[in-house]
Amino acid sequence: MLPTSEQQALIEHPISSKVFLQGLAGTGKTTAGALWLQKLILSGIPPHQILVWTPQRALAQPYLDALRQMDQPVFSLLNTITLGGLARRMVDLFWPAVSRVVGVANPDLPPHFLTLETAQYYMAHVVHPLIVHEGLFSSLTINRNRIYSQILDNLNKAAIVGFPHHEIGDRLKSAWIGDVEQIHIYDDVQVCVNHFRSFCLAHNLLDFSLQVEIFLQHLWPSALCQGYLTRTYRHLIIDNIEEDPPVAHDILRTWLPEFDSALIIFDENAGYRYFLGADVESAYTLHRSCSEMVHFSDNQVQSLPITHIQSGISRAIASLNRKPEPSADLMPEDIRAGLETPGEKIKYFPAMVDWVADRIRTLIDAGVPPGEIVVLAPFMPDVLHFSLANQLDALGIPHRAHRPSRSLREEPATQTLLTLAAVTHPDWNLLPKRINLAFALMQAVNGLDLVRSQLLTAYTYKEFAKENAFPLQPFEVVPPATRDRITYRVGERYDRLVSWLHSASQEDPQTLDFFLNRLFGEVLSQPGFGFHNNLESGNTIATLIESIQKFRWAVGAQIGPEPFTIGKEYLQMVQDGVIAASYMHSWEQPDEDAVFLSPAYTFLISNRPVDYQFWLDIGSPSWYQRLDQPLTQPYVLSRNWQEGDLWDAEDELSAAFDSLHRLSLGLLNRCRKKVFLGMSELDVRGYENRGLLIRIFQQVFQQAQKGAA
Amino acid sequence: MKETIRLRPGQQEILKYHGGKMGISAVPGSGKTWTLSYLAANLIQSGAIQPDQEILIVTLVNAAVDNFSSRISSQLQAVNQLPGVGYRVRTLHGLANDIVHERPDLAGLSTDYQILDEKEAERIKETIASAWLNAHHDFFEPYLNCQDYQLRKVYEEKNNLPGLVVSISSAFIRMAKDWELTPDTLRERLSSLPIALPLVQMGTEIYSEYQNALVYRGSVDFDDLIRLALRCLKSDPALVRLLRERWPYILEDEAQDSSHLQQEILSTLAGESGNWVRVGDTNQAIYETFTTASPHYLLEFLQQSDVDSRALPESGRSSLSIINLANWLIEWTQNSHPHSFARTALTPPLIQPTPCGDPQPNPEDCPACIQLVDREMTPEQEIAFVVDAVEAFLADHPDKTVAILSPRNVRGFKFVDALKNRKIPYIDGLLQSTSATRLSTGAIANILNYLRNPESGRNLAAAYRVWRRNEREDESTAPVIKKVAGIIQKCERLEDYLWPSPGKDWLDEDAQLKLDERYFDELLSFKTVVQRWHNAIFLPIDQLILTIAQDLFLDSAELALAHKLSSLLRQLSNAHPDWRLPEFTLELANIAKNERRYLGFSQEDAFDPDRYPGQVVVATMHKAKGLEWDYVFLTSLNNYNYPSGQEYDQFQSEKWFIRDHLNLESEIIAQLRTLIEKHPYDWYQPGKASAEAREELVRERLRLLYVGITRARSWLTATWNTGRPSSKNVPALPFLELINHLERSK
Repeated sequence: MLPTSEQQALIEHPISSKVFLQGLAGTGKTTAGALWLQKLILSGIPPHQILVWTPQRALAQPYLDALRQMDQPVFSLLNTITLGGLARRMVDLFWPAVSRVVGVANPDLPPHFLTLETAQYYMAHVVHPLIVHEGLFSSLTINRNRIYSQILDNLNKAAIVGFPHHEIGDRLKSAWIGDVEQIHIYDDVQVCVNHFRSFCLAHNLLDFSLQVEIFLQHLWPSALCQGYLTRTYRHLIIDNIEEDPPVAHDILRTWLPEFDSALIIFDENAGYRYFLGADVESAYTLHRSCSEMVHFSDNQVQSLPITHIQSGISRAIASLNRKPEPSADLMPEDIRAGLETPGEKIKYFPAMVDWVADRIRTLIDAGVPPGEIVVLAPFMPDVLHFSLANQLDALGIPHRAHRPSRSLREEPATQTLLTLAAVTHPDWNLLPKRINLAFALMQAVNGLDLVRSQLLTAYTYKEFAKENAFPLQPFEVVPPATRDRITYRVGERYDRLVSWLHSASQEDPQTLDFFLNRLFGEVLSQPGFGFHNNLESGNTIATLIESIQKFRWAVGAQIGPEPFTIGKEYLQMVQDGVIAASYMHSWEQPDEDAVFLSPAYTFLISNRPVDYQFWLDIGSPSWYQRLDQPLTQPYVLSRNWQEGDLWDAEDELSAAFDSLHRLSLGLLNRCRKKVFLGMSELDVRGYENRGLLIRIFQQVFQQAQKGAA
Repeated sequence: MKETIRLRPGQQEILKYHGGKMGISAVPGSGKTWTLSYLAANLIQSGAIQPDQEILIVTLVNAAVDNFSSRISSQLQAVNQLPGVGYRVRTLHGLANDIVHERPDLAGLSTDYQILDEKEAERIKETIASAWLNAHHDFFEPYLNCQDYQLRKVYEEKNNLPGLVVSISSAFIRMAKDWELTPDTLRERLSSLPIALPLVQMGTEIYSEYQNALVYRGSVDFDDLIRLALRCLKSDPALVRLLRERWPYILEDEAQDSSHLQQEILSTLAGESGNWVRVGDTNQAIYETFTTASPHYLLEFLQQSDVDSRALPESGRSSLSIINLANWLIEWTQNSHPHSFARTALTPPLIQPTPCGDPQPNPEDCPACIQLVDREMTPEQEIAFVVDAVEAFLADHPDKTVAILSPRNVRGFKFVDALKNRKIPYIDGLLQSTSATRLSTGAIANILNYLRNPESGRNLAAAYRVWRRNEREDESTAPVIKKVAGIIQKCERLEDYLWPSPGKDWLDEDAQLKLDERYFDELLSFKTVVQRWHNAIFLPIDQLILTIAQDLFLDSAELALAHKLSSLLRQLSNAHPDWRLPEFTLELANIAKNERRYLGFSQEDAFDPDRYPGQVVVATMHKAKGLEWDYVFLTSLNNYNYPSGQEYDQFQSEKWFIRDHLNLESEIIAQLRTLIEKHPYDWYQPGKASAEAREELVRERLRLLYVGITRARSWLTATWNTGRPSSKNVPALPFLELINHLERSK
């Protein structure tokens, strides 16, 4: 596709320029950024001198694609980086230079970098005794895993906003308007933060917050590190700068003068990751470090009715927020062309799903490519995803989800492997129930169906075997008549598996990841077994093994020398929901021409316009409600919060409107033709929701009625 | 609104309302729900609210929510708006949920907090109470009054001490939450008190453990929800301001059952000079036991100088004779009840029949249609008598509606069994979860039950019958279904049917099947479905249920129920990570069998008696409130269920094994009151609260009787029974007085 006139004008800037490019979503800024990259390379700049900085890795994909699509061969790698990636890379590289000043107990030993999962594990390890024995957080009614993740979130906020971690509690307390008896929860947060930080330092563990802090406080100010970075990277492209936290902007502000060229792309009305510390105001100040300001205003995406609806939404929000603003009336024809609601009131949630599936079918029958349709909800809960996916399957419509419906621990392949691991290690005292073993064997052994598996385990599994005894018996213990029913072919496979497991149980202890790797490679992926030629399960198992490895690397040294203790610990943590609860990311191809089912924010960040959007469950407050309550607070912990202010319901409402405004405008900026509003009176739990988004649309419809009048 | 001309004068006056505080005393059948919904529609249409504001209507039970919504919505049909615009109908729990969702952090909750199902809450309390009792075996020694040989029975039988500990602590926890007392506050106060309050000590310990269990699950119970809503309002003045702006008018129905917290929440939302209309009938206050609900709140409101007090005394529901009977109960109570403490139980206004030309004229009067039966009957004889009468009546009046009302659920089920035996059509949805809920839940439970025993032909046959349940009534398909179910049940090797290995396909081998293609095709179709279920066994429980539901249900309400069940089981699976198919199956079976009353969708809970002519609705008196039938049977009107404070009366809350007729539920509340009120000269006196509880029960039971009588349109029969042989119950005193009155009138 040829560049637009605005894009053309941008790439005609001299290579030595430092340009601040702003514009709404859909105006072609990222495409212009990719063209700029190609221009740099065509001018002879080696890719390894170019740094592409994005708030998350996936957003660098258009630049990697642009490099691939170039006519001439490129002989070096392009560097794409995020703030977290940069911090980790630098800490890793310069560890010997800083290890003595950061306060770790063993500066001569290398650090252990924690993933979100392993940090959560250690947080649980540190905080759990405080909850149980010291009574911390006793006035809260939230799941413990949420407590751990919210404390971690606070630590990360302190790091990326740039204030000392020991101020977290006081900052949260200063804005608290609630019951005074409740305010101690923030003291509790501070106690846990302090304990966790001390624990990390004592064991050379670096969580995200510590990595960022070390980078910011010790490495970035050093001539060594800065010299290395400025020498290595000469050209900078930043996309979605508004989604980065303020410390990223601080670094870039001092770094920018060192670059030979820079293109900074700023998405107006965005800042969707505010809950992750995104700071639009601070991002915008970077324009002062640039020599040129460019503004893109030609929307390449929206139809006129969508533009009008966008204005209608802005007006409705302003009016609901008691800040009415004049704008042109919305006309009924705009509504007809750009918005569609179910013809009649839908009471129940499944009927809404039916309606969505039916409308998708109609669109596809009319020739719309499935990839031009996206179904959005504030979250994509399992029940919604599953119901919709089933309906689309029944209609033969391809679909994909950014977030698959199940977590790693709920994957049958994961459950099968972990069940077999538990059976092989009776000394862990985690023997599964018979029904679970039957399910695992069904997965593991070809030809073993539910009936035969139950028959088999009824004879061969000794769930309450003597202490540490291997609980599986060979096929021969099954009575002959039943053996005949199960079939000898299946029996032979079962024996092979059991024999392998039995041998493994007799061998010297191995690490759990190694054990599973061997189990998969030597048995389960072989002909006659369940995962033979099963790429999807292979992918799941690879993710599981990676998760266990990371857990072992981060945790191993602290727990004890025996590798199996770690295996047992991992299994218990899986059962408690502390780890392996995260969703898998890599199993579906993003470019497929399929209907995309996604949480709204995920779709926004993916920066991909489509013709048709379905917004589901618009009555739900989840469209705007702050996550991670009550222990953390993105607004209060931001740089824009005025010390001494109290956070009250008006702030909450104002933040909700602001968030909805950004979200709805952002979504419409990525919509070419029409939005379908899915709503049922009662949500999946049977509750009637009356959130702000439904009230905004009520106003939009009323505006159109007035327009008609 | 054209219908305005059909309004009664009282209603017309109320509909002139456009602001301020108004209190309305309404009698049964006076159309208060209708008037209130009409008022809401009126306010919306008159432009009294801004486009983004709502009239807030608060009512007592879920059943009324839909009722209100549909009435207002039909009165607003002319206006083209998105569903539900301009008004919001909520129970107090629903309203509290809305408020807490505005600021969950102030309530110490995450945004996705769970509300614990009543049965799950009960289960937690049982576990804690049982552990507590084991650890404090001697605690009840000072309270017991039984022989040594009875001790084992007292300590071990669920209905005795273990059950009593649960009920005492439940009452204590509910009251403590109503008074906004946390376990920590209670402990602190207990430690500073110079006297021992052992029951409160026990209650606090169980309360503390119970709250820990809720925290562990990230859940709140229904009582928490209300307490926390008030906490949010008290903490954040901006929240109150915003909500007042959003809900400029509050219309409260059934205000006679308003509790201390409801009163506080609504008065906070309305504000000093707000718009608040409260409608109620103090004679129908029947939810006061062990709660802070009280008709006094409404009575006091009606007497406030800034409140415009109105009455709706006319009712077209019942015949004149039934009205007279109900009015006479009020007069007798006020003037002649032997105990002065009972005389305030029922108060005017008396019910007035509707005037001539009223759109809802009273049914034609029929004095002979009232039968107050003073004959002595055993419980079994009473059931037989009532069922005979019902059968005879329905034979002559198949188009009329009938209800049998009993004081308790257990008794109601006995009537259901008798009706079932006599093949008289009955509706028991008010006694337990609706039959639709039970059938749908039972259907899924049957499939899960099969999946956990997949080698059982019997279970598979049951699953097959469930799968074909909609066709089982069809005469043409029923024989095939019966036959095929029989064939499946006899199949000895299900694997050869469902997953045959080469050369061993049961469908090909069985000669009998080849005789009839219909059986063969049916078995083949079912096999495909079962294979799908087998493959779905790896899915998380919520997805497994949805997969099964897709094969079982077509109706949208049933599918919605399946979604809700899946959501509930997912919640349970999070709370009980060790639960597997057997536990989930049991849980569904409990819902299906109604060991737990499942909270269905509001539409399911709404009950319209007129949808069931020719069938007998069996309900408790409490559940019958707000409903009416052509013929009502009031049963078990003896002194056990309706004590009057006579020496020979018995009281259900006083356990046989507890000394001095102490009602420990009342005693623990009295101790709690002592703890918080700290009146230096008003210490706790054992037994005083039990005596007061008796008086309260006498008053409440008079109102319950009044509610029962006023459910009837034209026919009313009342009976009593002698109870268990050991109890020798007598007719309730007010019942005898009603009989005498009727005799005199004749």
